[in-house]
Amino acid sequence: MKIKIIASIIISIFVLIFAITLGSVHIPFADILHIITHILFGADLPEHIRPASVAIVANARLPRVALAFLAGAALSASGAVMQSVLRNPLASSYTLGVSSGASFGAALVIFFGISLPFLPMMTLPALGFIFGLGTIILAIFVARRLDNQLQNHTIILTGMIFALFINAVITLLFALFRENIQQMIFWQMGSFSGRHWDTVLILAPLTLAGIVFISRFRWELDVLTFGEEQAQAVGIASKRVKWTLLVTSAAITGSTIAFVGIIGFVDLVVPHIVRKIFGASHKYVIPMSAVIGGAFMVLCDLVARTIIAPIELPVGAITAIIGAPFFGYIYFSRRKGGV
Amino acid sequence: MLTLANVAAGYDAGDVIQNISFEIRAGENLAIIGPNGCGKTTLLKVISNLLPFKGDIILGGKNFARLKRREISAKIALLSQQIGIYFAYSVYDTVMMGRYLHIKDRFSNSPSRRDEEAVLAALAAVNLLDERARDITKLSGGQLQRVFLARTLAQEPQIILLDEPTNHLDLKCQMEILDYLKEWAKNGERAVVGVLHDLNLAMQLSENILVMKDGEIKAIDKAAQILSGGLLDNVYEMDVAGYMRRSLQKWVPTEVGRSPM
Repeated sequence: MKIKIIASIIISIFVLIFAITLGSVHIPFADILHIITHILFGADLPEHIRPASVAIVANARLPRVALAFLAGAALSASGAVMQSVLRNPLASSYTLGVSSGASFGAALVIFFGISLPFLPMMTLPALGFIFGLGTIILAIFVARRLDNQLQNHTIILTGMIFALFINAVITLLFALFRENIQQMIFWQMGSFSGRHWDTVLILAPLTLAGIVFISRFRWELDVLTFGEEQAQAVGIASKRVKWTLLVTSAAITGSTIAFVGIIGFVDLVVPHIVRKIFGASHKYVIPMSAVIGGAFMVLCDLVARTIIAPIELPVGAITAIIGAPFFGYIYFSRRKGGV
Repeated sequence: MLTLANVAAGYDAGDVIQNISFEIRAGENLAIIGPNGCGKTTLLKVISNLLPFKGDIILGGKNFARLKRREISAKIALLSQQIGIYFAYSVYDTVMMGRYLHIKDRFSNSPSRRDEEAVLAALAAVNLLDERARDITKLSGGQLQRVFLARTLAQEPQIILLDEPTNHLDLKCQMEILDYLKEWAKNGERAVVGVLHDLNLAMQLSENILVMKDGEIKAIDKAAQILSGGLLDNVYEMDVAGYMRRSLQKWVPTEVGRSPM
């Protein structure tokens, strides 16, 4: 297990550095290491490295890779939580309507120019967070009304209905406010381009705090996968823990989505793979989902910005192209298994 | 150890059980029997603090209402009938979950030597020590039930509640587990309360039997007493003793010469 963990971390770091080397200007691997140690520890730079390279790495590539990593980590870790708490490998912020809710919050900001009085920078993530959270709470509330047992397919179907409904409302907004359409479409496609350190600095503490907080619940998450009653029987206050975890993960996802746009399926694919490699225990599932999810997102973003350069593809499209068939695969392979 | 006084409980549609009063003493094995829908499982859920109830339940001198969930779970463990599994935990990790309250008391949030020993002991008790690294989604129904029994044992409770514990087990396994639990209950301040469908099994597990019908207790007495009166015929609306006698006569040879070689 230790070897697997160390190997994944090393591969992830390698992916990050590799992603920094590639772009419109290629910067060799060794130079990247020099530049990073220069930025972090003030180490001296070898003469052949031009200041322009330093600027590209420091101001464009590093923040972009950092943001992609954070987003991937946040989405994957919270996806893992939703799957365990709802006991369904198909649960994710995307299928539960968190993404659509956050999307609606962002639409309000973009179309109506809403801005929070003291923290204009925080408007987008704050509204994304509030609406993302609101949607999941509403979806679960309605699901509970329909089905007291809160069976998983009820939750997922309700989440999807909410998502479709909200998307329809957003389409209406599109039709009514044509002048901001460009910005909104760009946002909806999900992208890490043109982001700077300030975004990273807001998202990093939120994401890290959220993931550390969730990790503290690893035992509760383990037992909850056997159901609420089982969890209660070993002494867990199931309802409270379940809500705490759902709210926390919706919060992390909502604020991430608000910054980077809708990036689906990562939260579904990554935890699934992590469980396959590291087993089901949340001692590993949560932190490794964060690490691998982060690296995976960096890789997807790398594909998005280099595959047909100079044109940049939306990273959300890349993750969906990989993720949607994967979703189908999990769904149908489980059905065959009779679960 | 545990006293119920005038307990009533149910779901949205109204009370399923009412007027439930009885006592569970240390060292006791109590089997709860009764026809389908008589409220056996509901009663078990109330005792394991999964359902709200009216009336009083006293555990170790303290009223349930004043106890926190964790205080109750530290003393009472439940082995359910069917537990859905969705993720591929190892046998060892699954049993370790029974140590939740012990682990949660430490800041490190990870198992101690003591927890590990308890898990290994529980695995040994159900004969799964060699299977501890296996993935639970690959186990047979019987093995799985033993894993959950081990988890219940690892919880180190004083009272174990069983809800149809031997449903998926073959005959030998059933006997082994019930025999184990009988011995378990005799050691120290412990008791086992089992809901059992099978009358034979109920007699195997317990000296004392509680008979329920329509949400109420019809009788609570020694097994022999329960079986001898006409009570069961009345409760199950059939000739129970006659049925058991007939199946014995039909299948168990009475003379040595008649037994097939």
